[in-house]
Amino acid sequence: MRPRPEFTLHDLLYNAVSRDPDKVAVVDGDASYTYEDLERESSALGAALADSGVKGGDRVGVLVEKSWEAIVAMLAASRIGAAYVNVNPLFKAPQVEYLASDCDVRVMIGDTPKLDELGPKTLDTAFYRGAEPEGQAAGSYVAVAEAMKGEGRTEDSKVSESDLGTILYTSGSTGMPKGVATSQRNLVVGAQIVSTYLENTPEDRILSALPLNFDAGMSQFTTSLRAGATLYLLRSRLPGDLFKALRRHEITGVTGVPPLWALLIRGSKSIRDKPLRHLRYLANTGGRIPQANLDELRHLLEPAGTKIFLMYGLTEAFRSTYLAPDEVWRSSPEQGNCIGKAIPNTEIMVITKDGREAAPGEHGELVHRGPTVAMGYWGNEEATRKAYRPNPLAPPELLDVERVVYSGDTVKRDEEGYLYFLGREDAMIKNQGYRLSPEEVENLLLSSGLVHEACAFGVENPAVGQDVIAVISLRNGAEDGTIDRIREHVIKNGPPYMVPKEIFVEDELPKTGSGKIDRKGISNAYANG
Amino acid sequence: MVSSNTDARSAIRGWLQENVTGGREVPNEEPLIDNGVMTSLQTVELVVFLEDTFGIVVEDEEFDEENFGSVEAIARLVESKAA
Repeated sequence: MRPRPEFTLHDLLYNAVSRDPDKVAVVDGDASYTYEDLERESSALGAALADSGVKGGDRVGVLVEKSWEAIVAMLAASRIGAAYVNVNPLFKAPQVEYLASDCDVRVMIGDTPKLDELGPKTLDTAFYRGAEPEGQAAGSYVAVAEAMKGEGRTEDSKVSESDLGTILYTSGSTGMPKGVATSQRNLVVGAQIVSTYLENTPEDRILSALPLNFDAGMSQFTTSLRAGATLYLLRSRLPGDLFKALRRHEITGVTGVPPLWALLIRGSKSIRDKPLRHLRYLANTGGRIPQANLDELRHLLEPAGTKIFLMYGLTEAFRSTYLAPDEVWRSSPEQGNCIGKAIPNTEIMVITKDGREAAPGEHGELVHRGPTVAMGYWGNEEATRKAYRPNPLAPPELLDVERVVYSGDTVKRDEEGYLYFLGREDAMIKNQGYRLSPEEVENLLLSSGLVHEACAFGVENPAVGQDVIAVISLRNGAEDGTIDRIREHVIKNGPPYMVPKEIFVEDELPKTGSGKIDRKGISNAYANG
Repeated sequence: MVSSNTDARSAIRGWLQENVTGGREVPNEEPLIDNGVMTSLQTVELVVFLEDTFGIVVEDEEFDEENFGSVEAIARLVESKAA
């Protein structure tokens, strides 16, 4: 069969199945599944979703941990023109409920214990994995295992590249997390671009080490699908499991965030004794690798032939720039934190505050133009207009036809065209690859009922990006154990990366002239001891 | 360094209480990884604590979810090494 042009995720699936139906697509623990399995089970589950009332354009939540079922669920939703919404597995019930309500998820595919934590009638229908649910989260329940074995089949032809493909939840500098509405075209072009510069082929054995709700983590699935390669699902974040997966499966490509490499380096002795000869490339995203760790990684891996790619990107436009293996040396602090040049098929502009293109060396905001620019933030017009703006350099005749993404990151460009990351002016916190707004942390602290005022901010720590620090005042004064109770509340109701590393108590928090809590003043005071 | 017959379970629970859970007592069988109790970086800190406290060395391959899934599992690993 001739390959189909690549418009949607299921075109990628169709091509992989046509090329080799018996090729292993996904390995989950001890089980392997072929592309034929992926085709059949995603079609059956897609038909079951449609039977439960899901229509084109609807959102389908995926609350199962990274697994064969999660992969099938994404394609099943996609095949009926619905958008899948992968939920961060570290989320606790309050975050899941927020997300379900924010983008109106009526149907969710989830692990039973996670579904049972949700409030009554959060969903119309839940497809559960595991034991039969005991909670009241959904009006009706369907076993996902049975749905995947069903006789129904989808009609794929009705979906176009302009349709909504997925919503990726991410935090910004203010407010609660926003859903980045991402089209089928964004997903497919993203897979084309990344698999082009990583040179993926059907022979690749790609490790999925990042969560699927993270744009860069979903990318291993889409690039592997496009290449017709084999994807190995790794849920564990511990170094022993990472090593075993790399060796046992002879992994050829791994993408991760800086804390993962810190774990890899911990095993430097075993890598020196037994080099990872199969590992063709390692790609970093989600923040800078501390220079000492990068040097060590290069030293450990490059002699055995592993190539290191450094990527920079934001969910709003998937990936933006990268440094190819022979240019990784440019990323050092002495060279000025170079983030490379634009990924293929993409233009990166540096725009000054007065809307001009910056001269070499001049500071400006990184602005991304290209086919991975997403559709905007779901249901949030104000935020969308702020980040997704008309191309400032378009000829007047084309004004406002094309939207580009304003990243919020301050950068500069040198004479050779290389870009350098300088920082951010807003309050966004980046911890272990996760983006957080101060308000999310503050709201979580306030919801304990023990906190009167809260102020959260990030403090640089090369090992994790930034530590989350909170300064609070208490409702009823400090009794013994109050801070412990607050901490316990935060841990129970939020993901680990949202838990402040330190919580300081003041009688009252300083305010700005307009009466708001003076976050900048408080964080500066903390920085100055 | 304390002697190897120190109760590993209570030492691990104490460390978790102090460094991870904000004072909450962690039952020996509670899943630490699946429930997202510990981040991977905290697990690395825990290994350093175990190595210092019990005078053991945790090999890279042993540093996995099977051995670090609960207080009970970690204690068994420590005991097998200290024995």
